Amino acid sequence: MLQDKAEKNPEIIGFACSYCTFKASEMAGSLRMKYPEGVKLIQVPCSSRVDPAFVIKAIFEGADGVFVAGCHPGDCHFIKGNYFTRRKIAALKEMFDAFSMKDKLRLFWVSAAEARRFIDKVTTMYNEIKERKNVREKN
Amino acid sequence: MLGKKIKNGNIEDTLNRFLKDDQHLVLGFEKGENGVSLRAFKNYLDHYSLLNPIFSTNGALHLRRLFSKGTKIILMLRPCEIRAYIELIKLNQIEREDIIAVSIDCFGALSSKDKTDDIPAEADQLREYFKKTDTMRWACKVCRERRGVVGDAGIRIDRDGLFWAFSYTEKGDSFLSLIEGEPEESRTEMLMSGSEKQDQFQNDMKTFSKDFAKCTMCMNCRDMCPVCYCIDCVFNGDEYLPKGDALLNKILRSGPVQLPQGKELFHFIRMYHVSQTCVGCGACEEACPQGIPLTKYFKGISERLQGMFSYMSGRSFDESIPYLTFLEDELKNAED
Ligand code: SF4
Ligand code: SF4
Ligand code: SF4
Repeated sequence: MLQDKAEKNPEIIGFACSYCTFKASEMAGSLRMKYPEGVKLIQVPCSSRVDPAFVIKAIFEGADGVFVAGCHPGDCHFIKGNYFTRRKIAALKEMFDAFSMKDKLRLFWVSAAEARRFIDKVTTMYNEIKERKNVREKN
Repeated sequence: MLGKKIKNGNIEDTLNRFLKDDQHLVLGFEKGENGVSLRAFKNYLDHYSLLNPIFSTNGALHLRRLFSKGTKIILMLRPCEIRAYIELIKLNQIEREDIIAVSIDCFGALSSKDKTDDIPAEADQLREYFKKTDTMRWACKVCRERRGVVGDAGIRIDRDGLFWAFSYTEKGDSFLSLIEGEPEESRTEMLMSGSEKQDQFQNDMKTFSKDFAKCTMCMNCRDMCPVCYCIDCVFNGDEYLPKGDALLNKILRSGPVQLPQGKELFHFIRMYHVSQTCVGCGACEEACPQGIPLTKYFKGISERLQGMFSYMSGRSFDESIPYLTFLEDELKNAED
């Protein structure tokens, strides 16, 4: 029990496109599917609206992980926004990699219909980060 | 390659002829009492120097938001300055129509903070000087392109010590046509060859904190970076770096902070924002009053991130900045 209390719960910030991933999260809610409380979503008009500065700010102001999520390539509401997202986030991952912190950032494609996929993606990310966080804090 | 041999004084004559027109300017280097410095010449050249062995700012910095047509300008600058100029064109910060950009073979430079009074400005002496001392800036030691091969034209030096002018674009042709003499084939190899590839940048947050411990957040590095061009920088308002009441609110809301705050935020965001356009010139480090090794980080990250897209900032006018374009089928391994 004591052990449980000492366990740290991570906080994860997710930038979710309002045309797909954010819709999927709403659907997950209406289907009463659960995802970890530590996952906080920020709705964006398109995943390409996410300036990597937002991600960097979230991380250095305390988030344990950040994900950027948008429509599958080819399905962008604005036709090609998510292709730019992929370039920008891939480069940001490379930069994080250079500072040995690549595990903090993920990029998901989740369509409005994929409530299950949304739950899977965020839960897996949450659990992996939680595990790593607690291993680190025990040492 | 077909080029024009430049005899003694030839470049000065050429530029002077060009400057006869009142609407013509030359941006180049001037030898003065206090060493060599950047100068915008009008009407005639005075104490002109082809090379500048002292680095203080990147000359492209002064060209930002230059949109006027009608004034013809010849830039006679270092490769890293011409490269920054080219990136600024791609970012729509410069109207290039009336500008001819000439890059000049560069032997490296001293920091303007160092003792600079005994440094020669002639090619052969400068080479000897840097062979004997280890005072060259780190940015220059690991420079990616010190050859005059970027821009519209280049001034190169061959193994016999002869100067050559080569043209790379139509505007370069018009620059060459200003020089006296006929084009000829250069048969001797050029003195300077391409740079060696550097190891991939790798670091960790502990070293970062140590390296930036003395940073005062004065933001000089941003202000002197030629390609950090936003008028409305995200760090000017209260959103990223709150001050006063906003700072107080933040502390009350989320706990104590070290002041000045936001070093990671500031440098990481800047590192990302210039990642494709950074030319590794080291102007940031030169501007830093605290001696932070900025070039190591900014050049390191930018080369790594440019490498992902086989891009090199300022190498050509036509290559698009990677963040402004995409391929439909790429980077699958970035998707989780
Ligand atoms: S960075 Fe390269 S081009 Fe610029 S001054 Fe140094 S050696 Fe010359
Ligand atoms: S970040 Fe530094 S090295 Fe890169 S272009 Fe700006 S001033 Fe030059
Ligand atoms: S110039 Fe130096 S001290 Fe000032 S913000 Fe940049 S790194 Fe920090």
